[in-house]
Amino acid sequence: MAGFNKTDELGLLKRLHSDGEQLTGSDRRGFLKNAMAMMGGAAGVALAPSVLASNNLPPNVPSWTRSLGTGVVTHPYGMPSKYEADVVRRTVPWLTADPISSISFSPIHKLKGIITPNGLVFERYHAGVPTINVEEHRLIIHGLVDRPLILTMDDLRRFPSVSEIKFLECPANGGMEWRGPQMEGLQFTHGMLSCCEWTGVRLSTLLAEVGVQSEGKWILAEGADGAAMSRSIPLEKAMDDTIIVYAQNGEPLRPEQGYPIRMLNPGWEGNTSIKWLRRLEIGDKPWYQREETSKYTDLMPDGRAREFTWVQECNSVITSPCPENPFKGKGWYEIEGLAWTGKGKVKAVDISFDGGVTWRPTQLKGLVLSKALTRFSIMHNWQGEPLLLQSRAIDETGYVQPTLSQLRQSRGVNSIYHKNSIHTWQVTESGSVFNVQLS
Amino acid sequence: MSNFLKGHHLALFLTPILLASSFVNADTLNLGRTPTPAEVAGWDIDVRPDGLGLPVGQGSVSDGEYLYDEKCSSCHGIFGEGEKRWPKLAGGNGTLADDRPDKTVGSYWPYASTLWDYIHRAMPFPAPQSLETDEVYAITAYVLYLNEIVEEEFVLNEKNLAAIVMPNAGNFYRDDRPDAANPRCMADCKDPASIQVVASLTGITPTDHFKEDGNDGVAYEEPAIEEVETSTLTVAAQAGQATYQQACQVCHSSGMAGAPILGDKADWQERLASGMETVYDHAINGFQGAKGMMPAKGGQTQLSDEQVRNAVDFMVESSR
Repeated sequence: MAGFNKTDELGLLKRLHSDGEQLTGSDRRGFLKNAMAMMGGAAGVALAPSVLASNNLPPNVPSWTRSLGTGVVTHPYGMPSKYEADVVRRTVPWLTADPISSISFSPIHKLKGIITPNGLVFERYHAGVPTINVEEHRLIIHGLVDRPLILTMDDLRRFPSVSEIKFLECPANGGMEWRGPQMEGLQFTHGMLSCCEWTGVRLSTLLAEVGVQSEGKWILAEGADGAAMSRSIPLEKAMDDTIIVYAQNGEPLRPEQGYPIRMLNPGWEGNTSIKWLRRLEIGDKPWYQREETSKYTDLMPDGRAREFTWVQECNSVITSPCPENPFKGKGWYEIEGLAWTGKGKVKAVDISFDGGVTWRPTQLKGLVLSKALTRFSIMHNWQGEPLLLQSRAIDETGYVQPTLSQLRQSRGVNSIYHKNSIHTWQVTESGSVFNVQLS
Repeated sequence: MSNFLKGHHLALFLTPILLASSFVNADTLNLGRTPTPAEVAGWDIDVRPDGLGLPVGQGSVSDGEYLYDEKCSSCHGIFGEGEKRWPKLAGGNGTLADDRPDKTVGSYWPYASTLWDYIHRAMPFPAPQSLETDEVYAITAYVLYLNEIVEEEFVLNEKNLAAIVMPNAGNFYRDDRPDAANPRCMADCKDPASIQVVASLTGITPTDHFKEDGNDGVAYEEPAIEEVETSTLTVAAQAGQATYQQACQVCHSSGMAGAPILGDKADWQERLASGMETVYDHAINGFQGAKGMMPAKGGQTQLSDEQVRNAVDFMVESSR
């Protein structure tokens, strides 16, 4: 480049690069192209990120401090930083025959607090996500009632509403590991788990509106998706805390979560919380639908099976460290995790560093709500010692999260669902973390 | 609720359509309206074990065979054996208490009504609720026939379905959890020497977002829940298993280039006679022997010495 010495050239390139960073898409490509043309073809070679990155570190003043950013409504619906592009749901392709009837996992190793952002809530579809026109969607309530009802979504929003923070979990969470560990990350061992603030109408309010007859004991909830996904819900639950939900973390329910409305049965296995809800029928007996006979029943070692295993029992897992969040050098770390129970509040969480020989209590932090994710933490000064890290949650009923051996002793290894056992992370001397089981 | 309803009677005069409604009631908000019988009938598709909800209709096993072959067999197999990971529909009788139970319509489902209901509401998978009533009866009859629950001449209808007894009926019972009592022990809860660590299988979950040598989790087509025996390996040997699979297995599972085969006790005993340090040395730096040739680190020079030693530990401990 004629007229520039080496230092000048590098400085100019850095400036061009940082200015170009502020532009997007075709603007950026055009800018860089013109810059290259101006400086000559050789410039491209010098644009290695490793050379240019240091320009933004102290004592230099970063490019973003010396320029203007993008304006309002550049993104009418905001998106995360491009540097957080790996905070996404993921699936495991071999788990299911097809991605349309399948499951994805929340990146719980990357999440903080107890609320799952709407775009990261785990997905479970039995026939894909329907695209439902809210104007054309209806909820019909009929059967053993005095006044059958058909509601528009506008009608539903005129009833008194509630907003509650509740976890949602697939009963198959962890179910791939009854026989042994095989998932290499927290996202896959425990990611069929999310927690949102849900807004909607108590089902008991709607049932008062229709007048349930005295023989009415069960409710069939049915979705408008291609599976017409259906479950039988006992009236006791419906009258207790079931919500017909239309909003999630403040905004309209996401299509993946049942837009425009879903059922939410707090603390119960996720599939009972029927999405894209279109119909509630009150009857005197359960219907024994496919998803409460062929699936979501728990096969026991004697060949018999438990049915209607609704409650998600007390569970916990350490989210940092985990295989995705290894220790990076010696020193202090906050060991943190999530605990939850379908039977109310988490009372305490203990942690073990030695594979369950000794335990000590952790701190519960932030909100401790019924049937919601609950955070626990403890500080630890790690000096390179190998660890077998475990957490053990206790809920307000006094139930203590069991060991895997205890569950296997009761249930064998073929019950698929409801594996809520104590989980173990092996921390090696290098700080790497592995999913293991202890016998 | 009465607080919501103050002045509610005014609405009755202002909106004539509500006067015609059947559900004007002092205890309700009077939102929405009464559905017409046709509206309910169009969506009311559920069927119960006692047959409640079944529409009038019929279908034979032979009609069902034709329909099944056309609409169902590409996923569920000609004989209900299931293609790839799609559900298997037939067989498996008497396997529910086995180590590998085979849960099918015949071996597991408690009610025939569920089969009719599910085919009607959700099948065929790409075209749900596309079947005529008689087609649902026929396909249901055929799946029952595949499971030897009905005879070849059988014709299923709304009157005889509820009487069909499924082989596994009666083997379901209500949730009886909690079924595990774990005392909240705080100290000396177990003997540290009794702890054995079972390492995770590797290579079957997506890890390329957090591991440099990660993978996308697509490689395995088969269901990956494999037998995992309680490991008796040392921690080093367990750590070496992944290295073995990645770098050593090709030769040491086949005996290629004279390599001692994993699990071949005699073959390994010979090598071990010179001591573990010699074996480590040969593995790390390479060795030309009478029986065969070991390239340095198996040719995988990116491996650290420790990784190679761990892999040796894994092979030695697995060949005792």
